[in-house]
Amino acid sequence: MLNPNLFPFLLGLAAFLFTVGAAGVLIRRNPIVVFMCIELMLNAANVALVAYGRFLNSEEGQIFAFMVIVVAAAEVVVGLALITQIFRLGRELDVDDLSEMKE
Amino acid sequence: MTVIFAVVIALAAVSALGVVFSRRTIYSALSLVVTVAMLAVIFLLLNAQFLFAAQLIVYAGAVMVLFVFIVALLSPEAEDRPILDIRAVIGGLGVVVVTVLVFIEARNGITYSTQGFHAIGVGTANDPYHTFSFPPNATDNAGNVQTVAGQLFTNYLLPFEITSMLLLVAAIGAVYLTRRSSP
Repeated sequence: MLNPNLFPFLLGLAAFLFTVGAAGVLIRRNPIVVFMCIELMLNAANVALVAYGRFLNSEEGQIFAFMVIVVAAAEVVVGLALITQIFRLGRELDVDDLSEMKE
Repeated sequence: MTVIFAVVIALAAVSALGVVFSRRTIYSALSLVVTVAMLAVIFLLLNAQFLFAAQLIVYAGAVMVLFVFIVALLSPEAEDRPILDIRAVIGGLGVVVVTVLVFIEARNGITYSTQGFHAIGVGTANDPYHTFSFPPNATDNAGNVQTVAGQLFTNYLLPFEITSMLLLVAAIGAVYLTRRSSP
């Protein structure tokens, strides 16, 4: 039997990971690191979903987390393709310089 | 079990900080690998074996290899700007405040009774609190691969099929974006 006192720690970890990721998106200027911070936020949501699913004795949390993993994979593929295109255009990798979508 | 949880949660938190505060991009990527692996261990301890495997294969296997590959390909230089400036301090304060609030709220929300323990959920008019309860004797086969697959291919079949569409669109989009001749 799982110790119910663990539940606040798991939710605390999820909140910590999410806020660290959000702060990283705002602080860092390298778009690759910004993408990693987005991954961190998605993973934080997964931890909360799985923890709730476990403690509520339900599978739905895991199914939602699975959907989140799929969405994250798709997002990374498209995002990194965009980054390589920006790099190929000879632009500096800095989100502050990339404030406009089109030249 | 509790000791393993403590170690894994601490490692996940420290490596998450490493993602944000590493000066070199490759160190951020390697820190994220550690975070993802630790979260996979948490999933395993929470009886989510399928997500443990999916996390390791998709995140640690595919996504992080892609990240490391892109970092090696583009070799972005380390940020010259100091990372620990006033914005980082404000962000750190936000992190601490939100984490402590969520922890206290989750801890206070749980009340113990003979029927197990209850948590504050989304209330109704009749019962603003304690609208869901954690089962006292959580059976250990809830959440294993068999029951998850049973739900996924019956009640959640349509969303599952739509994810395949999403992956196809993402693959086509990536191929289109990285063509040699610019559109």
